[in-house]
Amino acid sequence: MIFADARVYVVDDDVSMLKAIGRLLESEDYSVEMFTGAREFLARAPHTGPSCVILDLNLPGLNGLELQQALADRGLGEQIIFITGGASVPTCVQAMKAGAVDYLAKPFRDEDLLCALEQALARSSERWLQSSQRKKVCERLITLTPRELEVLKLVIKGMLNKQIASQLGTTEATIKVHRGRVMEKMGVTSVAELVILAQTAGIAPAATDTTKV
Amino acid sequence: MNWTTIAWSMGASACLTLAIVHLVIWCKQTDQPAHLLFSVTAISGAAIAAAELLIMHAQSPEQLGRVIWWAHIPVFFLFASIVGFVRVYFNAGRAWLGYAVCGLRLLEDVIINFFSVPNVNYVQITGLRHLRILGGETISLAQGVENPWVRISELSSLLFLVFVVDASVTLWRRGHPGERRRAVIVGGSMILFILVAAGTSALIEAGVMQSPYLISFSFLAIVAAMGYELSSDVVRAAQLARKLQESDVALRESEQNMALAASAAELAMWMWDIPRDEVWITDKGRALFGFAQSDKINFDRFLDVVHPEDRNTVRRARGNAVDGAGEYESEYRVVLPGGQARWIVGRGRVEFSCGKPVRMRGVSFDITRRKQAEEHFELLVEASPNAMLLMNTEGKINLANAQVEAVFGYTRQELVGHSVEMLIPERFRSQHPSYRNSYFSDPKARAMGAGRELYGRRKDDGEVPIEIGLTPIRTSEGLFVLASIIDITERKQAEMEAARQRNELAHHSRVMLLGELSGSLAHELNQPLGAIVTNAGAALRSLERDKMTPEKFREVLEDIVADGRRAGDVIRSIKGMLRKVEGTRQLVNLDNVITQTLRLTQADALAHDCTVLTEFRPALSKVQADVVQLQQVFLNLILNAFEASKDVPKLQRRVIISTERDGDGAVRACVRDFGAGLPAEASERIFEQFFSTKREGMGMGLFISRSIVAAHGGTLCAKNAEGGGAQFWLRLPASKEMNV
Repeated sequence: MIFADARVYVVDDDVSMLKAIGRLLESEDYSVEMFTGAREFLARAPHTGPSCVILDLNLPGLNGLELQQALADRGLGEQIIFITGGASVPTCVQAMKAGAVDYLAKPFRDEDLLCALEQALARSSERWLQSSQRKKVCERLITLTPRELEVLKLVIKGMLNKQIASQLGTTEATIKVHRGRVMEKMGVTSVAELVILAQTAGIAPAATDTTKV
Repeated sequence: MNWTTIAWSMGASACLTLAIVHLVIWCKQTDQPAHLLFSVTAISGAAIAAAELLIMHAQSPEQLGRVIWWAHIPVFFLFASIVGFVRVYFNAGRAWLGYAVCGLRLLEDVIINFFSVPNVNYVQITGLRHLRILGGETISLAQGVENPWVRISELSSLLFLVFVVDASVTLWRRGHPGERRRAVIVGGSMILFILVAAGTSALIEAGVMQSPYLISFSFLAIVAAMGYELSSDVVRAAQLARKLQESDVALRESEQNMALAASAAELAMWMWDIPRDEVWITDKGRALFGFAQSDKINFDRFLDVVHPEDRNTVRRARGNAVDGAGEYESEYRVVLPGGQARWIVGRGRVEFSCGKPVRMRGVSFDITRRKQAEEHFELLVEASPNAMLLMNTEGKINLANAQVEAVFGYTRQELVGHSVEMLIPERFRSQHPSYRNSYFSDPKARAMGAGRELYGRRKDDGEVPIEIGLTPIRTSEGLFVLASIIDITERKQAEMEAARQRNELAHHSRVMLLGELSGSLAHELNQPLGAIVTNAGAALRSLERDKMTPEKFREVLEDIVADGRRAGDVIRSIKGMLRKVEGTRQLVNLDNVITQTLRLTQADALAHDCTVLTEFRPALSKVQADVVQLQQVFLNLILNAFEASKDVPKLQRRVIISTERDGDGAVRACVRDFGAGLPAEASERIFEQFFSTKREGMGMGLFISRSIVAAHGGTLCAKNAEGGGAQFWLRLPASKEMNV
């Protein structure tokens, strides 16, 4: 399966290996970009869309694991497949813990790499999708007034209009208007939808003031 | 009294006087028969003069005949004594002529004359002839019938003349001035006056000359000539005696001087009278040989004091000298009365007379000290644990000790007197004389053939590795060299064993180093292998999808080939390092060795995040080295440097490897890190066995590295660098052409 606008990066100081991987990926119609060092790679223009980095563990200067950390810090959601000439258990564990998709010892079977790549791109595109949704939700959330945001937090908690009104010290009718605006702004028709969106955006339901119930 | 009486008497008395004088001389010098013979001649001359006087005054024919008869006796003696005189005094004249003259005279004057009446001159004297001579005197002469036997007298006179002429000519021819004078004066006067006597007698008898017989006067002249010569001999003898006396004084003085000098020089002088077997010797000599003052010494007595072992030597030396060589020289020991021995050398010369040895003169002196020094020298040489050879400038062996026999298998008798070149293997022999000459041109104590491996040739043609020390020795006999030779076979074997063990250890260490590197080496191999597999996979996929163009396919295959080669290179390097090599040296470039080593450590450098920089000096001399062992040294140093870089911030981790010249064609290489440096107290200890600053280190790496470098004649040392970190300096000498 080919992901549209997906990009594969290969970073290896061994030019011969770099070329070989490039050939392999191009034969599978991937869009490939190749780098011989970590710094060149970091200096590239960011790609919008799913992407995967096939990364040699033993790089001069910044090594593979350090590069992984740097990418995570930037949070662009690139998935990483490590390849290495001298596999060792500790580095493998460290790489996997830090979220690598796979860890392949050279020489590897081409299907292993392609399989890992597919997996990585799937994960990347999913991430990419999620983040684009969250982005949309956030954009809508920004349009809410602070009062409306308050109401939203109480709604997704499952409180009735009357309960909200009593908690906020206003009338039920006012809350009803607020609620209607929130639903409109967030583009939902049901409370269930609103709850999902709020979760996507990472908004927690407001704490319950039990003394006032 | 008339004048004839006076003249003839005077002549006779003069003869008698001379005769008496020389008779007396002869009595004193009985070994001079010339004087006796002259006396006989002179007495005979006097008797003849007396006879002539009686004839002149004879009163009757009988009386005259009688006087002539008697006169033949002195005539015989006269001739016989002159013949004898010529033989003795001239030491010339033919003996048979002399005997013939004397024989004829004996026959005529004695035998025939004895039986003749009145005498051998006349058969019969018929009367007296009276003759008036000078001064108015009248003398008598015989008148009668001539006896034919008188011809014998004339024959003998003729022979006598021949005899004298022959003797005089012989004497003259000898050429000596004294003898020539003798030939002229004595021989000449004899010839002249015999002719005069014979001539006048013949003339008187023929009646031509009116004169008395002048025979006695002729002989008187001969006697005078003889007397003159003899007396000049006497005078010369007296002169000689005086000179002798003078020279005797000088001789005594020089003898004293000589004795003094001899005594000062501790010389004993001696003379051996060979026929009598008596030895005269100076007091010094008596002391030297231990003879008492009263001892009478002969050859056997002398042999008594000679050490029994040396007696034959002395006998042989004496035998050679006496049997014709003339020169005597012998070294022997003398046993003194106290029992101690003393070395003496005796030198002498034999004097021969008529081919027979008559005496031998010579000197002897004490050479104990020299002999002891020689003995000590020989004992020292003998006691030496090394083989010792003493040679002269021509390379002739003078002395060899027992060790030489042990090392070379020759006996001393086979060596001494022969050239030392017999102990040199054939392939080096031709060069040796030039080496020897150059040594003797500047002789000093030193090792022979510095830097070369030396071999000796044994009797069985085998070769033995040796070391030779040379010491020049100056003696009175010239320059010698004492060679001290050490058989280093065992040491060579030990060295070889040590080298074998070192190689073994180096190999183990190398295997361990590669073990440490195995991760990196796997990486080094996996890299090309990964590329190959991936390339092949890509190509297969492209083929399946018909996306492969021939150009692309070629490209892929070329890359696969290149990576395959790369993998092969890595494997070869590893194999090289794992090989057990037995020190095969070759001329190598240090930079190449370092580059090859770095190929093995690339992955390790990455793993350590270390950058390796090289600063190679161009056109560096090559070194004679075992590549694998040298790589091992660098591998060790580089891995240590990586290890030392662990605590350095990642971006500052680097290792600098540089090479440079170090004078005399030597090269230096430096491996420098930027780590913590060497602990102050450990900068030398790091080269010890089992010393390690690493927790998991065995502590063998640097120890082995240093031993490898040392086996290459180089040095390996460490120090802290300015600006931090450690520097390991490796120095290797310039490669020399391998010389034998």
